[in-house]
Parts: sequence; C-alpha cells; structure tokens
Amino acid sequence: MKRFFPLLILAAASILLAQAPNQATLRTPTGDRLVTITRVNGQTLFAADEVMAALGGAVSPDATGFKANLNNTIAAFGPDSRFGVVRDELIEMPIAPAIVEGRPYVPLQFFQGFLGKAADLEVSWDPVSRFLTVRPTQHTIIGVQLSVANVQGVSKVVITLSGPTDYTITKEQSAYTIRFKTQIRAPFAAQSYDDPYVAKATFSASDLRLDLKAPDAGADAYKLENPFRIVLDFHKVAPGPSTLPTIVIPTRPVETPGIHTIVIDPGHGGKEVGAIGPGGMMEKDATLTLCRKLADNLETRLRTRVILTRTDDSVVTLDQRTAIANQYKADLFLSVHMNAAVVKGAHGSETYFLSLEASDELARKAAEVENAAGRPLPPAGSSDLKLILWDLAQQEYLAESSRFAQAVQEEMNRATGVQNRGVKQAPFKVLVGATMPAALVEVAFITNPEEEAKLKTDDFQKMIIDALTTAIQRYKIDYETRIGVLRPAAPAAASK
Amino acid sequence: MIRRFAFVTLLLLTTSCRRQQPLSRNLNVENKVAMRTVSLYYESPDLLLAPERRNLPLPQNPAAALDLVMRELLKGSANAAVPRLLPADTTIRGAYLLPEGTAFVDLGGPTLTQGWTTGSHQELMAIYSGVQTVTANFVEAKRVRVLVNGEPAETLAGHVSLSRALTPVPSMVVR
Repeated sequence: MKRFFPLLILAAASILLAQAPNQATLRTPTGDRLVTITRVNGQTLFAADEVMAALGGAVSPDATGFKANLNNTIAAFGPDSRFGVVRDELIEMPIAPAIVEGRPYVPLQFFQGFLGKAADLEVSWDPVSRFLTVRPTQHTIIGVQLSVANVQGVSKVVITLSGPTDYTITKEQSAYTIRFKTQIRAPFAAQSYDDPYVAKATFSASDLRLDLKAPDAGADAYKLENPFRIVLDFHKVAPGPSTLPTIVIPTRPVETPGIHTIVIDPGHGGKEVGAIGPGGMMEKDATLTLCRKLADNLETRLRTRVILTRTDDSVVTLDQRTAIANQYKADLFLSVHMNAAVVKGAHGSETYFLSLEASDELARKAAEVENAAGRPLPPAGSSDLKLILWDLAQQEYLAESSRFAQAVQEEMNRATGVQNRGVKQAPFKVLVGATMPAALVEVAFITNPEEEAKLKTDDFQKMIIDALTTAIQRYKIDYETRIGVLRPAAPAAASK
Repeated sequence: MIRRFAFVTLLLLTTSCRRQQPLSRNLNVENKVAMRTVSLYYESPDLLLAPERRNLPLPQNPAAALDLVMRELLKGSANAAVPRLLPADTTIRGAYLLPEGTAFVDLGGPTLTQGWTTGSHQELMAIYSGVQTVTANFVEAKRVRVLVNGEPAETLAGHVSLSRALTPVPSMVVR
C-alpha cells in the first residue's frame, strides 16, 4: 500500500486540478493551480488577479482601469485599450482586456510583457492542454546583424535581431553603447566604417559600442518589428539658441514649452503600397520621397528636431507610427499621404484632423470612469492617463490639431492654387493615439494622371515641401505666441 | 436500475419532441414583404455621397431587410457612369442590427482580405456610403460597425479606423 501512496497522491492531485471548461492550469516553479479563463473574439483571456496572486503579486482597480503589482513593478491596463503600460513602455495585446463580473481578464501578451520586466519570467500558453507556464527566462542567444548607411545626411545604424529583446542605450563622450538584456551572437568583433558620423562598431559580451567621429552629433533611436530592429539615426544637431542642451536620447531635448520636435509620417511602406497612380506611381514611394526632403527643409528652416516614422521602404504599423511620435514626446505630428478617388478629375489637396465622432464616445467613457471613481482624471503624462487611453489621446489636442490642419490646408492652397477641398475631420487610425496636435495631409490625387505626373517633378515637390514647411512654421509661431514663449512681434523674424 | 434507465429515456424523448420556440411571435408580420423605396448612396461627381432611389421588395423586419439593402448597394449604381466604391470582388457576408442601434456589416472578398490599395478619399467614400445607406434607411440603426471576414479590422485600406462603430457624417453627403 505504501508504495502506491505517492501514486494515490498524484491521482488525487490530478482530480483536484481537473480543468473545467473555463479553467486552465497555471504551472509555476512552485507548483500547479487552476486559474479562470474566458474567450473574447477568439482570444483566450486569463483572470489577471488569479495569475498575479499565484506569482506573489496582486491586481487592484484604479481610477482608469487596473494595476498589476509584482516585486514593486507596476503595470497599468484597462478594458478600453489593447495597450498596457509598464515602466513607461507599452505592452501591446491583440485585444483589450475584458472585465467579466468586475474582474479583469487579460491576454497572454500582457503577462509576457509584464512578467519579463517585473521578475525575469517568461510565459507560454498551450491551448491544447490549456497550460499557462511561467518559468524563469531561458536566456536564448539572439543573433545580431549590423548595417551602417548614410542617407541624405543621416547616418542610419540598423541593428537587426533574430528575436525581440530588451536593451538600453547610453551615451558617452563620443560613443553610444547598446546593452542587450540577452546573450547575443555578434557578427564580428570590431569593424570600422567610412561614414560621416560612425567611426567604429565593437561587440563585447552583450554590448555593442558605436564610436562616433562627431561627438556633438544628434541621435534618435527607435525600434521596428518584423524583423525586430533597433535603428539609430545620427545627424547634425540643428543650431539653436545657445542655452539649449545637446540632444540626448531618449529624453526630450528641450523642456521649455513650444514646438521643438516634429514627427513626419510618410504614409504606407513595404507591402502596404497605398494608392497606385495610372502611371504606376505608388503612394508609399511618393510619400517617402517627399517626407525625406520635408524633414531636411524643416531642420534647416525651423531649427527643430525632425523624426521620420520610416526612412526606407519598410512596413510600420499605424500604431507604431503614433507610438514613435509619443515616445519622442513630439510636439507636432503630420502624416503625409497621396489621395485616390474613383471619380475622374478629382484633384487638389485635403487636410484632416481626427473626427469628433470618433473621440466623443471616448470622452464620454473617460467621463464615466472619472465619475465612477469620484475623482478627477490624473494629470497628463501619468501612466493612468496613458491608459485612458491610447485611444483617447488625441481628444485633448483636437482644437490645436484643427488650427494646425487649417494652416496646412491654407498653405497648400496658396502654393498650388488647386481646388480648395478644405479641412475635414475623419476617424483616421494613424491620428487616434497621438498625444500632440496631429493632422493628415493628402497632398494630391495620385489617381489623377496630371497630378501623378506633377508629383514626379522636382519643382512640384519643392513647392509642396515649401508649403508644408511654411504651414508648420506658421503654426509654431502662432502656438508659441499664444502660450507666451514668443512675443506677438516675433512672427516677422520668422519669414523665409 | 431499470427505473433510472426508463426515466432518462423518457426525459430524452420529452426533450427531443419539444417544439422549438419561434424566434418571434410576430414572425409572420415581420417577414411580410412589401415594396419599399430605399436610398442607396454612391459618389457624385463633386466627390460627395448622393442618394439613388430604388424600389425593393423588403421584409418589414428591419433586421432582415438590412442585409438585402446592403447587398443591393453593393450591386452598384443604375447609372453605369457612377463608379464602384468598394473593390468589385467585395461580398456582404452578413448584416445585422442589434437592439441598441448598432448595425454590423460584415464584408469579405479577396481584395479586402489580401489588402486593398487605395487612398483616403476612396476609402472614406466606400465606408461612409455603407454607413449613410444603413442609417438613412433604418431609423433603428444609429451607427454602423464594419467587420471584415467576421472579425474586427483595423482599416480597409490603411486609413479609416474601423475599431468603433461609425456614425453618419452630414458633410460627406450632397445637400
């Protein structure tokens, strides 16, 4: 009997852990336990409070959603957004968490995003056996490829990784060090470059050191997915007032109010070609060409920091575009597109900002949250507000976005003399999450053979670039005057 | 044991013989078909949505009629000069109306599935021709949620957010 005793215990344990249809087994280093699951839109969601409690953490409600706490690392999430926030980084989920009978249920990706940061744990899900396995991160070796290229005065260092990993970037006197949080397989030990900014790349353990030729070079860093890439753009720092500090990523270069950082978004890219003209011109190519030149023009004329959401023919998701703008704490966001219509003869430019229809509902939801909590919304910039959310972000800036869109449309009309199709509002996805004044300009109808032909010419491109630069300059001066940074007499100094 | 078996058998027989409840007590009335004039919205030469009247035999039940009206919209304008807004291979997989006023229109077809390449204006016109047609013909429908292949879609062609139900935009319609 004695030798059967352990088997009996195991049998009893397996009976105890028999999964009901709405249950899964959470397997942790300390043992198994059942947790509640639910299905929403084909996705499995897990009871966040049960999983976190099993790991020694907790979930608690707050004014705008919920907070998960593990080892004093807090992740915020809510039912209105498929983005959570941990340590000021976004956790992207395929769908938003759901509230079922007052309890929050989250997709697997929430735990994957949170537990790695809070406790160096990795999470996997087997939908067949319904086992949610949490274990210490198996530090796999990530393959690294490096390319350095100078495009239109910007030295672009692209670090392509075989898988996603956390990393930090630190700036030294005349070098940047990228420290990966996982082991890496370096493509080489050291290599020198014939590049205006990058002198040498050196791999050591999990570090990549980039030695610069110009110690005062400005740098922007961002990450792209599919494949996972870290991109550093090195460029000359626009000469500004002597009191301004040197640009150091990832912090905002200047904390004084005003328009200091502008994100320009060339629409589409990669396999998402956008509209195609009768002559074969693709929207993705036309926007990239125009935006690269626009960025140069803005840096020269406005002495502002300009970030492009893409600088090559790559896919950047709509969410990533606004995420880039938000990460850089941009002061202005302009998405550039080419229009298409089935009606023959459609021509001219249009400028859009986010429609009220899209945001009214969100504002109401936020108000409901506020009323339910009995206290006001948290201040801008707090993680709570980020939750109310990504989708609500643009609501706060609609009035400024309208002014900005108006300036863009007026300058486009003035420059091109084309039909004024006016400023409009629409629920454009790329504008929804921007936490700054944002507009989308449709430069011309690429489906119109005449406008398609014009778009290929340097003269027309220059005219558009000058118009957009002037519009941004006009808005910058107007805004900075209204907030008291510039005196009303200042606009005269900003003429071309 | 025999008694228990007999009880279970009786229970199964009783259950299987039970008549199914009709979906609605007024099903005959709701399914009564009558000719009705509907307004289908297509793009006009001035780049706005304009109504085109058409007489259709429709069930009085709006939930049943909605699907038919959307399929009629997709057939295109009676005027051959008025171009199609959605890709020609687009299908209506279904259209239904929730009691609280949200209509769901489920689109399908190879182009929308693989990725539609067009600009903002055409995408806006295509989506809002559906939104305008639904809300103009069914007072019960206050807003329209567009799905693709039965699932929520980010956009149809990379511009207009479909993550929420859309309400009609009067400025897009010919006055």
